Amino acid sequence: MKMKLLLVSALSVIGFAGLAQEVAYEEYNLENDLHVILHQDNTAPIISISVFYHVGSKDEDPQRTGFAHFFEHLLFEGTENIERGEWDKIVSANGGSGNATTNEDRTYYYEVFPSNNLELGLWLESERMLHPVINQKGVDTQNEVVKEEKRLRVDNSPYGKFIENIKKNLFQSHPYKETVIGKMADLDAATLDEFIAFQKKFYAPNNAVLVIAGDFEKENAKKLISDYFKDIPKGAEITRTFPKETPITSEINAKAYDSNIQIPATMIAYRTPGLKNRDSQVLEMISTYLSDGPSSKLYKKMVDEEKQALQIGAIPVTLEDYGMYIVFALPVGETSLNTLNSSIETEVEKLRNELISENDYQKLQNKFENQFVNSNASIEGIAESLAEYYALYGDTSLINKEIEVYRSITREEIKEVANKYLKPNQRLVLEYLPEQNTAN
Amino acid sequence: MKNTYILLLTLFSFIAVQAQVDRTVMPKPGPAPEINLGVPQSFNLNNGLKVLVVENHKLPRVSMQLSIDNPPILEGDKAGVASLTGSLLGLGSKNITKEAFNEEIDFLGARLYFSAQGAYAQSLSKYFSRMMELMADAAIYPNFTQEEFDKEKEKLITGLKTEEKVVSSISSRVQRALAYGKNHPYGEFTTEETVNNVTLSDVEEFYRDYFVPANAYLIVIGDVNLEEVKSLTEKYFTSWTKAVPPSFSYSQPKNVPNTQINFVDMPNAVQSEITVQNIVNLKMKDDDYIAALLANEILGGGADSRLYSNLREDKGYTYGAYSSIGNDKYGPSRFSASAEVRNMVTDSSVVEILKELNAIVTKPVTDEELKNTKAVYAGSFIMALENPETIARYALNTEKENLPKDFYKTFLEKLDKVNKADVEAAAKKYFNVDNARVIVVGKGSDILSNLQNVEFKGKKLPVLAYSKTADRVETPDYNAAVPTDVSVKSILEKYIKAIGGKDKLESVNTLAMMASAEMQGMKLDLNLKKTSSNQLMQDVQMMGNSVSKQVVNGDKGYMVMQGQRKDLEEKELQAIKKESAPFFELQLINDASVVIEGMEMVGDKNAYKLKVGEDKSAFYDAETGLKLQEVTITEMQGQQIASTSNFEDYKEVSGILFPFKILQTVGPQSFEFVVSEIKVNDGVSPTDFE
Repeated sequence: MKMKLLLVSALSVIGFAGLAQEVAYEEYNLENDLHVILHQDNTAPIISISVFYHVGSKDEDPQRTGFAHFFEHLLFEGTENIERGEWDKIVSANGGSGNATTNEDRTYYYEVFPSNNLELGLWLESERMLHPVINQKGVDTQNEVVKEEKRLRVDNSPYGKFIENIKKNLFQSHPYKETVIGKMADLDAATLDEFIAFQKKFYAPNNAVLVIAGDFEKENAKKLISDYFKDIPKGAEITRTFPKETPITSEINAKAYDSNIQIPATMIAYRTPGLKNRDSQVLEMISTYLSDGPSSKLYKKMVDEEKQALQIGAIPVTLEDYGMYIVFALPVGETSLNTLNSSIETEVEKLRNELISENDYQKLQNKFENQFVNSNASIEGIAESLAEYYALYGDTSLINKEIEVYRSITREEIKEVANKYLKPNQRLVLEYLPEQNTAN
Repeated sequence: MKNTYILLLTLFSFIAVQAQVDRTVMPKPGPAPEINLGVPQSFNLNNGLKVLVVENHKLPRVSMQLSIDNPPILEGDKAGVASLTGSLLGLGSKNITKEAFNEEIDFLGARLYFSAQGAYAQSLSKYFSRMMELMADAAIYPNFTQEEFDKEKEKLITGLKTEEKVVSSISSRVQRALAYGKNHPYGEFTTEETVNNVTLSDVEEFYRDYFVPANAYLIVIGDVNLEEVKSLTEKYFTSWTKAVPPSFSYSQPKNVPNTQINFVDMPNAVQSEITVQNIVNLKMKDDDYIAALLANEILGGGADSRLYSNLREDKGYTYGAYSSIGNDKYGPSRFSASAEVRNMVTDSSVVEILKELNAIVTKPVTDEELKNTKAVYAGSFIMALENPETIARYALNTEKENLPKDFYKTFLEKLDKVNKADVEAAAKKYFNVDNARVIVVGKGSDILSNLQNVEFKGKKLPVLAYSKTADRVETPDYNAAVPTDVSVKSILEKYIKAIGGKDKLESVNTLAMMASAEMQGMKLDLNLKKTSSNQLMQDVQMMGNSVSKQVVNGDKGYMVMQGQRKDLEEKELQAIKKESAPFFELQLINDASVVIEGMEMVGDKNAYKLKVGEDKSAFYDAETGLKLQEVTITEMQGQQIASTSNFEDYKEVSGILFPFKILQTVGPQSFEFVVSEIKVNDGVSPTDFE
């Protein structure tokens, strides 16, 4: 039966290989070097207006961590023409929704509206770029909000401190060693002038990408974009020189403690290359193969068959300068963390020594293609991908072509990359343990 | 064309004023957008299958929906046969085993589901051909086996048993049965008895009768082209035998002549479910369809609606109050307004819901309400359009409901044109506040007497009692008197005597109990230790890991839930401390706050109910004196949740009777703990309470 199935799928690959997705887009720069990407799709009367700022936690002064994330909040405080507290009301009263996200490399603001609100969206985002109000009142308010967010997501959240522990062990000199949310003491110590300077430096048109995606008419959109954005002054040139990490050559062992947990976890992490490097994509495939979902190798073996692990998962982090591949497992009952570590290593070792099976390879390709296709299912998803491909990967056309990269990855390459990055002497083994409480 | 026109107009206006944009003024929205829905292409197969194709080449994926639009089906004394047919479809076919079928779909990264009268599949477009082949194969050559039938039947019955205790399930069953009548396809319901009447050959017959192409639609959306779909459908679906399903006519349900309360008693209910309902005749193609939707939205569509603002925001009676209005091309459907409310405010909530209904039919809605509701409605309509399933549903509705071709295309325009008078007229027509059934499912002993005094428009509403299966019953009398010679003291003394006697119980210093239960194939272990000096330790473990632990040691205590440790607050501490005594009844005898709350049935036994704590009651068998049940009410996120422990299978250990079976029920979940070991004055050490 299996043979027949394989044959069927192999045939269909050949038969339809010519069909590919086509996300049409147009891109250009305004005179102030604001990069504009338009993706017109009139299928549904929805429009997404978003601005990608190429600033993340790695751009911060090491003594002022948490600034980029802080600005994600601060830039909702209002502008010269939008009063404090009005932003969200304007968005919802016009049938829209919006939000913002920050990571190590970039900050992203977006609104989605019925398409008759294009101009409103452009006005909102241009106001934010041109003259946000940054004053002590807003800083003080958002300082409290960010602290609450940290309490919720990090301090009181079970396993919430794993990422900071992995980062500080995998990175010695590159700013990726710090967390995105940053140190609260740094935020408390920051002056209003420092915030204003950070805004001036990074939130300028030449460090931003404006993406309009959805139902609009091109000429009209271009005219409105020009009207609202062309007079925003260009900022100073930004140069980025970050210290390089030396390769990890012997296994790092570390421990971390968390008072919110009872079940320990083992976390194994490898430092991987930056996202422009092809190896980064190969590693993403490896992550899916080993640990994505119930049909992955590690899950099937450790959770289903041997019942060693209560849960297992992987977090592949792909970033501009480096990445991280993190596998974690929670033991069942008395199973030791060492047992979990060696189970994981056994599977990683197989990857280094053997080719994965043809059947698994094809299934992996199918899974990847499905993920890739579905990630472009919403207008908002496409807008964000377009901005990232342009600003971080340096190639907007990857929106349609990235799948070709995955298709071109061979079984041999998977083995090669596993040998290059996933050897035991290149890994961090973090024991993530419950903080011992003395019973009261 | 229209777009171009608007564009020119916009350009002209810009040129005319020739100005910079004025940033100080917030831009106004443009005209409501027209919807560029894909226009489906269509063709028919000779067997009657209608195929709709919406080409969309943006992403290399495709979805297929098979939908059989049969008239309503009365399942009668074999109710459940449709649901079983749905569960048994898609488990492989006569040509491919269930395992190979599932494995291939997983390998392709695709999805495929079946229901009694339809199927849905989604995959990459390069696997479209194979997916259609698999869908057609499973649909046309199903492999109904006795083994799978028995499994699915078992599952269905288990599900029905769970529903028997759930207030909302009973309410929804009674609502439909009373609205349409039990001999109507929409009013009948599935019971264990009707499921047991169903055989494998009934499933085969149901499939033969109703899974036929006469009223079937296959909607294909995505990266495909018409010719390809044509040749594949002809290849795979031509062998589907042409047949027309049997069709019957049913009696037309009617509204009641005067508004009345229909009450169903559920003694375990901690909240009442109230539904005010009437029959409506509304079809999507009716001119006032959108006005009716808006009227409903304003009344009870969401968090900005009148019902929600009144019952939740203003009065705090409930976590949410909503209304809905149905539509059906075959005949009547229902309008309903409902809320789950605390027992004590059941009557007041009925009054408020009726008041809101009366208000919306007698007074026009405000401009502000209409404007905001239109904005919300338009927003959600527009946002939903991104989803290919929405587009499929629209294409299908247009066909099935015989709608004008531009129905959805012009939906927003029509929405925009609806005025206050339209909404008022629709409310008057569809919300029949004077001919409504007010169905209340709840705990009669708490709510019935108040319900009997509910007035509407100056008159008391009649209260008619129904059973959980929607049959008329005598209105229950909750004043079954506790015999005069029974007191708190006599009940507790009888209990103490029944399990071993005061001296025996007082000699117990420590108690250790081990028990276990099964949950979804996983084992839950319970370890409980108590001492007579205010110490308690309760640890629940799943597969060897602690999931919940409580420890009390004198005046200190903590709990650990899902890895989070937290010290007990004073109130929690006091409550648990009370439980820590090996037999708390020894203390209760001298506790003046304990009172008799009446007599109630626990299962088939008559029991005295004692209020033993602020939120806790205990039930003692009137005949044997044994403790049958404890109920604790807690509030979680605005909902009141009862946790119930039932005690059965009393056995003797060291001269004392202990229950060896404890049935724990929390909300819809229940666990049956079987005790494996009880130790008296043994097996407990002081370190257990650290």
